[in-house]
Amino acid sequence: MSTALAALEEAYARRGAPPASSKGPTVNRTPVVGYVGADMPVELLTAAGIRALRLTGDPDSGSQLGDRYLGRGVDPMARSVLTRLLAGSFGDLDRIVVSHDCEASLRLFYALRELRRVEPGTGLPEVYLVDILHLPHRTTARYNRRRIGEFAARLEAWTGRPLDLAGAVAAHNERRRLLAAAAELRRAVPARLTGRQFLAVANAALSVDEHIALLERLLAEAGRLEEHAGRRVFLSGSDHDTAHVYEAVESEGYVIVGEDHSFGGPSPEGPVGAGGLDALAEHYHYSGPTAHRATVSERAAHAARAVRHCRAELFFAYSRTGDEAPAWDFPAQRAALDIPALLLERQDYGRADLTALRKEHPCAV
Amino acid sequence: MRSVKSLATAAEAGRHQREWFADLRRRVAAGEPFALLNADVPHEIFRTMDIPYAVSQWWASLVAAKQRSGHYLELVRQRGYPDYSEQYNSVTLGSAFDPEPEAGPWGGLPRPDIVVGDASGDVTRKVFDIWGHEPGVTFYPLESAAENEVPANWWELMPHRWEQAVGPARLDLLTAELENLVRFLETTTGRRFSESRFREVMALVNEQEEWNRKTRALIARTRPAPLSVVDSIPSVMLPQWHRGTEWARDIAKRFYEEVRDRVDAGQAACPGERARLMWIGRGLWYDMGFYQRFQDEYGAVFVWSMYLAIAADGYVRYGDDPMRALAARFAAFTDQLYTPPWSSEWYVKEARLHGIDGVVHLVSDDPRGSYFTARALEAAGFPVIEIHADNVDARTFDDEVVKRVGQWLENVVLA
Ligand code: SF4
Ligand code: SF4
Repeated sequence: MSTALAALEEAYARRGAPPASSKGPTVNRTPVVGYVGADMPVELLTAAGIRALRLTGDPDSGSQLGDRYLGRGVDPMARSVLTRLLAGSFGDLDRIVVSHDCEASLRLFYALRELRRVEPGTGLPEVYLVDILHLPHRTTARYNRRRIGEFAARLEAWTGRPLDLAGAVAAHNERRRLLAAAAELRRAVPARLTGRQFLAVANAALSVDEHIALLERLLAEAGRLEEHAGRRVFLSGSDHDTAHVYEAVESEGYVIVGEDHSFGGPSPEGPVGAGGLDALAEHYHYSGPTAHRATVSERAAHAARAVRHCRAELFFAYSRTGDEAPAWDFPAQRAALDIPALLLERQDYGRADLTALRKEHPCAV
Repeated sequence: MRSVKSLATAAEAGRHQREWFADLRRRVAAGEPFALLNADVPHEIFRTMDIPYAVSQWWASLVAAKQRSGHYLELVRQRGYPDYSEQYNSVTLGSAFDPEPEAGPWGGLPRPDIVVGDASGDVTRKVFDIWGHEPGVTFYPLESAAENEVPANWWELMPHRWEQAVGPARLDLLTAELENLVRFLETTTGRRFSESRFREVMALVNEQEEWNRKTRALIARTRPAPLSVVDSIPSVMLPQWHRGTEWARDIAKRFYEEVRDRVDAGQAACPGERARLMWIGRGLWYDMGFYQRFQDEYGAVFVWSMYLAIAADGYVRYGDDPMRALAARFAAFTDQLYTPPWSSEWYVKEARLHGIDGVVHLVSDDPRGSYFTARALEAAGFPVIEIHADNVDARTFDDEVVKRVGQWLENVVLA
């Protein structure tokens, strides 16, 4: 067993919990910011010397307050995040920053903003929206550049010091490169990482530097990783902020060798160019293949490419109740693929109705 | 129970709508370009360029009123798409898949050449995007941008100080997208965009909505209410889809005069008015009789719906730069109705203005949420009952709702 993998898994299990430094007096400690959404320019948070943690939900702990404030039409992942924020599950956050990567994130931002206004007793920290948009046009590019600039200025105002953008971009690029290499381990035949393990590798709750160090060790120890011979599945659709669905699917003898949601591999994949805020704005303008922002044809073309690249034998689209965009993509994805494809729609948060899977593929069980 | 249409302007608007649609079908058959537009995209550009267009939500409401939404949702399902998601737009998409389009309401919706929608939500853009894959159809998407901090009193700022209400980032973005839209339409349709015609269209829209403002004020202060939402909705919404024409401006004026005459004559929707109700949410298109169901038994009248109120507060924009003023009309249009603090504060302001006794809130399973609206109204002393249904998908409506609302009227509003 790789010791780096064990350490990454352990850090993954800790994610969403308050970082050790966030307890105690706010003076002299690194500011902690909780962020939401896939297109958060995390480089800026690192550049500001902030400890950033991506806020995640928990399908097992109920979401009563989130349901009340957001309504049943919103993706339950966001409802769970809100519930946990109100319960203080993330410790003392200095700020919350939200990106507009999907409707649920935007609605979460509005709810947080309004709760602070009308129910100050909830004790929520200041919340800020980073509105990055994705139509492939120059008009949108200019808008994004303006929003990135505003966010950078806001961070400087918060911390009272200039951003070290070049250093942060270099560190995040290095992490991206290492994560892409780790993704190759999973694409090997047989796979050297399960989907569940890769989620941990990609989303471990670590600072960028700690994460880089562990990823380097993981790659150095690649020879010691087990082989996973299960049937190879590509998982498309809704975000998975926890490992529940991965565990359910992989417990049926599958191994998830790729995905197109925002807790998967680095997305967009390439490095951020040298060019300061301009390059950062360009990078986040292209949101990758996620269901909420990419078009139906982009998603279908990506599915065809990714399935080949990952040597998947089965395509598995997952659409959560309250997160319906993936179900709209499925017909075009299926048409673009030459492997069996299956849609699990109206799924409960953290659950996968595997009877459909068993019916479709009886011999794989 | 069927709704009784009693306003001459509502009847006239209905007649005009049929004639307009027949004419639209003729023009399209003769080879003119046809655009299908989402409700909150700037129709004024198409009006200025005289490009025939129809509004997606208007078509969906017509289909629902004819009890045909199930048929179109089935066509959507047959293509493998969900029939439980964003029905307001997907009903209209279903018409693109209809093997017998001419069997649709009013001879069927012609096939559009251009579809324009904003990229709001995760699904709306996909629905239009899928439409754009039909042969001969081009989808022109607009962004849907959001702002960090906004002043709450948008209804006071919008007519003249919209720059302050909406914020320059969103205005710059939409203004640029609209300039590009004009170029796109000039290129693909060969039509010209005349600046002076554009100013005329913008002026006509402001005049029309100013008449709606006067009508709203009149209804708000008159007791018993001269008419209910069943009458006001068609008299506002059909002209709304024709805004920027003289017909629409004139009928908005006649609507005002008709309401004023009723007030002067002491006519009332329900002479025994005991409770003034507010309807929050989209219209229940498949059961407009719902709104009159509580009049006889309880003297409860729906005096308020968003349709007249948003016409009164949501559209008027003055200013020297018509393209930026047009961008200001739409860059944050849905926030006015659905995003707190704008939405919640506005509903409270309107409830006070209309002397509302109770609020019926239609909650669809879409992400717009309702808590903050209900909370603000309740905090201001207005009782709220929530009912759950989709406004075009009759399959989601439950007869229990009528019973529950009746009990609530008895036990809370009239108690
Ligand atoms: S799906 Fe695409 S983006 Fe994701 S890991 Fe595979 S190739 Fe990379
Ligand atoms: S059921 Fe058919 S497609 Fe599925 S795993 Fe078995 S052989 Fe392959």
